[in-house]
Amino acid sequence: MLGAGGGERRAVVGPSVKRLADWLAGPLARVMHERFGLSPTQLTWAAFWLSGAAAVAVAAHHTGVGLLLMALGQLLDGLDGTVARAYGLGSEAGHRLDTRLDRASETLIFLAFAAAGLVPLGHAVLAVAAVLLLTTVCDRSGFDPGVKRVALYFGAWVPYPTLFALIFGVNLAAYVIGLLLIDFQFQRRMDRLGGDLDTVASRAVALEHAERGAAPAAAPALDPHPPQPQTTEAQRHRVLTAETQRTQRIQ
Amino acid sequence: MTVFTHILATTLGVQALDLHGRDTALAYGFGVAVDVDHALKAPFYLRAVGLQDKRGYYWRSSLQEPVGFLWIAPLCLWLGTAVPLLFFAIHLLMDYSVSFEKMPFYPYSHWVTRGWLVGVPDKVKEGILCSVLVVANVALWWARR
Repeated sequence: MLGAGGGERRAVVGPSVKRLADWLAGPLARVMHERFGLSPTQLTWAAFWLSGAAAVAVAAHHTGVGLLLMALGQLLDGLDGTVARAYGLGSEAGHRLDTRLDRASETLIFLAFAAAGLVPLGHAVLAVAAVLLLTTVCDRSGFDPGVKRVALYFGAWVPYPTLFALIFGVNLAAYVIGLLLIDFQFQRRMDRLGGDLDTVASRAVALEHAERGAAPAAAPALDPHPPQPQTTEAQRHRVLTAETQRTQRIQ
Repeated sequence: MTVFTHILATTLGVQALDLHGRDTALAYGFGVAVDVDHALKAPFYLRAVGLQDKRGYYWRSSLQEPVGFLWIAPLCLWLGTAVPLLFFAIHLLMDYSVSFEKMPFYPYSHWVTRGWLVGVPDKVKEGILCSVLVVANVALWWARR
């Protein structure tokens, strides 16, 4: 789901899809925010509590009720992002909270399926692990296929163990792809540096550290794309010279 | 290490552990085929180096770095076999004896290392290991014949 901060899932949820979702959910988001006075954060928490209730229902063998509650939770989870974007309430903290509560919701729901005896506990735990692994890289890689609890709606047609295998496999594969995409980003950075190819990795890392050192203490909360920190030519030159000397000493 | 040395090491492991079927495929997959990232990064190599043999060029990826254990361990648990972990570890041990730059835990850490035995020339290490593996493979095959 989209974060309260309008969290990006660039490869899967493009800007046009996001605009369409906002247009569809707009009236409901207006009701939630203007009539009931709910903030994106409150909607995020409400979505989480609904997911918690869904987990309890599933664990108590009321799978249909559980899936219905889960659907309501996911609806609210989508609305938080719409409200945040429509009313300029997005923030990095909101995006983080949304992501954390999404993962907590999935963990509760997956474990509930195991508690109900619908899937082995090990499969539920491994599916959670795969989803968590993907979460650690998807913001940087921009790749998230979105196959998480949504797959559970197909339980009427596909056995739950197969669905959990699918969730595990897709998320683990997406994690590997995400790692590779981040590697490619770093490779481009290294290749741009040029110079001695034997030391290009350490020089790129040193440059990245220098840039971080030059970064402002905190990015503006409402800007989803804060300006990239600027490194002066003198800083670049100092770092590259020091690194080249260091690697020459090692060799 | 070259792909040939990885094949020799994996073949020795497959023979020694008497692996068959799926386990053999997993052994070669995680002992040799993880090198596929070099093919994925070939366009970068060609753009940066061209057709020269520049072995120091950084064209590794997390597919063959210790960070890979993070996804290989859950996969092993799911499949109920430790073969991927074992052969991936062997692949890493061999690669880390070659003194090119490596980033073991990227993107979680930017630590850069050249591995171990950096004082011994790479060609000497590879030559010795390759010879030992050839002899061990032939000896094992002969003993089991």
